[in-house]
Amino acid sequence: MARKNLMVLAVVIALFATALWIILPIQGERLGRQGMRLGLDLVGGVHLVYQAQFPEGATSDEKARDMDRALETIQNRIDKYGVVEPIIQKQENERIMVQLPGFTDMEAAKSLVEQTGFLEFREVEVNSEGNAVYLSEYLEDSPDGFFNNNIAGNRLFTDEGLNPLVFIEKDGAGNLTYTDEAGESVDIEEIRNEVDRISKLPDLSAAALLSWVPARGDDGTPLTGNLLMTAVPDIQSTATGIEAEVAIEWDETGSIIFDQIAERLYNSGPYGIPQRALGIFLDNSLLSYPQILESSYNGKASITGNFSVDEVERLSNLLESGALPMPLEKPPLYEEKISATLGANFIDMSLLAGLIGIILVMIFMIAYYRIPGILASIALIFYGTLVMALFKLIPVTLTLAGIGGFVLSIGMAVDANVLIFERMKEEFRAGRTLGAAIETGFNRAWTAIRDSNVTTFIICAILFWLGSSIVASAPVMGFALTLFIGVAVSMFTALAVTRVLLRLFVGTRLAQRISWFTAYSRKEQ
Amino acid sequence: MFDITGKKSWFFLISAVVILIGIISLASFGRLQGGIEFSSGSMMSVDFEQDVSSSELKAELANLGYNNAIVQSVEGGNFYIRTDKLSDEKKAALEAALEAKLGNLEETEFHSVSPMVATETANNAIIAIAIAAIGILLYVTWAFHRMPKPFAYGTCAVIALVHDALVVLGIFSIFSALWDWEINLMFITGILAVIGYSVNNTVVIFDRIRENQTRGINPDFEVVVNSSLVETIGRSLNTSVTTFFVVIALLLFVGASIMNFAVVLLIGIVVGTYSSICIAPQLLLVWEKGEWGKILPSLRSAPAKTKGG
Repeated sequence: MARKNLMVLAVVIALFATALWIILPIQGERLGRQGMRLGLDLVGGVHLVYQAQFPEGATSDEKARDMDRALETIQNRIDKYGVVEPIIQKQENERIMVQLPGFTDMEAAKSLVEQTGFLEFREVEVNSEGNAVYLSEYLEDSPDGFFNNNIAGNRLFTDEGLNPLVFIEKDGAGNLTYTDEAGESVDIEEIRNEVDRISKLPDLSAAALLSWVPARGDDGTPLTGNLLMTAVPDIQSTATGIEAEVAIEWDETGSIIFDQIAERLYNSGPYGIPQRALGIFLDNSLLSYPQILESSYNGKASITGNFSVDEVERLSNLLESGALPMPLEKPPLYEEKISATLGANFIDMSLLAGLIGIILVMIFMIAYYRIPGILASIALIFYGTLVMALFKLIPVTLTLAGIGGFVLSIGMAVDANVLIFERMKEEFRAGRTLGAAIETGFNRAWTAIRDSNVTTFIICAILFWLGSSIVASAPVMGFALTLFIGVAVSMFTALAVTRVLLRLFVGTRLAQRISWFTAYSRKEQ
Repeated sequence: MFDITGKKSWFFLISAVVILIGIISLASFGRLQGGIEFSSGSMMSVDFEQDVSSSELKAELANLGYNNAIVQSVEGGNFYIRTDKLSDEKKAALEAALEAKLGNLEETEFHSVSPMVATETANNAIIAIAIAAIGILLYVTWAFHRMPKPFAYGTCAVIALVHDALVVLGIFSIFSALWDWEINLMFITGILAVIGYSVNNTVVIFDRIRENQTRGINPDFEVVVNSSLVETIGRSLNTSVTTFFVVIALLLFVGASIMNFAVVLLIGIVVGTYSSICIAPQLLLVWEKGEWGKILPSLRSAPAKTKGG
């Protein structure tokens, strides 16, 4: 019996040593875990939740695939910003949650996530001065001047929402017809009114009312960002100063299509004046429409526009990481920003609170239960160490509420011991020896410990469900997890550790002094 | 031996009065203010460089058209401002306007919740509390399935937890009226923790009743319940004391941002301990003896008894 107890004690001490080794140093690496993981409310950061907008009739398989791609794309974009341990997760199938610890620039964070990043090339019609042609010019002047009579083509114009407004088609004889999406002819006067209204809008997208057709290769494949291989920021010195641009490289298909388009646009106007330029559109807004000055580019080109160095870096990051498969609804469903300065104080204060809580509990236990109280205090130190080691290993993201759960569990951790010691008191009262009192005390207290802790586990499970089902989940989840770990570990320490330590006294001379083990005898004497 | 069960009418009366005060407070101070998690909107924490009083800030917000903004002073020049949901542009404009009038400020926190998410969160919080009640009813009934009336144990445990939730809510409504405290997600988490804590205590006492009943210490159930209470009261109070200590430490040192939570826990520990001794086992006794009708008449006889003894 005593021998078996010593073996269990050895295991307990080994476990304690391992736990201590895991948590020290607090910020050091152990078993692949680098320090404690702290939640946003402690380190500061940004938390965003977006609703994805899928086209109508998308199947759940398509949605799932697109969501995975979107998560990967956002991850790529964020990785380039050097955010440590960002969390990008799918929530409820159609929501994306992004947490950026330590990153407190809300606007930058939003644009990083929100931008669809869909890069598209369109053939933009330019006039003889090299300026882009807008729908109004078709409606005001004689439009014949803008059309090369040799090309029977059509033009698409869009409104402020970039929905098709009118299609203008030229037949072989050079006559223009104005039709809507369904091919029905439309009233020019109506279009004029519409153009008047749209051009007066304050923040008009540059692409609205512009004359363009999608840039396609000879086989009809559209030229988009999906065909890009690389996009890197680049700085060119020009006659007018330094110009920041994005150097791009096409993949194999992209190179072929790009050259086919370049050749066509290079020759599009009479007398060497290009009649169409290559418009570069990002998420439907026009970045620039450079003229094609060569007929062949061999897969390399650059995206220009009046960019700053910062903008070029953001753009190349956006293009490299690729387009989101679907747009995200704006504004986000949930947004949260916490500045980093708040947290540092909280950590110190809650550690202090935990420490003071532990000391108060120890004083109380020792004053009330004597030697068992000292043993329970030792078990409590063991408890704290083991829980912290688990927090680091799992790893549990510590939030303020989570620390609250941990501190609360310290108070509840001695509950099992209190139950046992009270039982032992009754056994002493019935005249049992220390050894007998320990064994019956533990055995009799067990059903109460088990049944009562199950209710706490039920509550933890419900809190965990609540946390996983809502958007602002961090505090609830944190509390549920730390409380669960706390109660589970406290059952172990109270049952195993205190018992092993108490048994050490059995058969020693101290065991004769029952009054050292309970407050009961003294009162009776 | 203490006669705890004999005073059960008093316990019921005390609880009824406290709950009634809570209900009156709830009814007279108007509705409880829900946090933005439950009713949508924006909440920002700003730190002013200069000294700014709460009334100055309120007046300035009203000037800017934010008449229903709620201002909560934290400490120094630090305030929580709650408004309807702000767009990026509106937020920037509001901050610029406040800076122009009241000096430089730093936005240390910003939260914004859309109505859709708020509704969802509120619904799920209600569901969580309902599931907690049902889960505990089922579990306690199952845990005591060997007893003659297991369902009575489950029901009494649930009545006790509803009692705790009502008392906490009532007391909280007074704070809410005094200091603009909100029912937020941490409040709900706190209520659930209190429920767990209280049922935990209740089950320990029920466990002892089960044990004493099985051992057949006395044919009278009232004596069984009373002995069980007396035997476990040391444990009940001691565990509450240790838990009370740590929550006090939490409240004093971590303070403002989890104030609601810590206060709910504090009230909850007291109420939960009370209900697990004075409500749940007493109800069980009334149920077992089928003396529902006697709760009120015994109120009249109880004072006479204490006078006589």
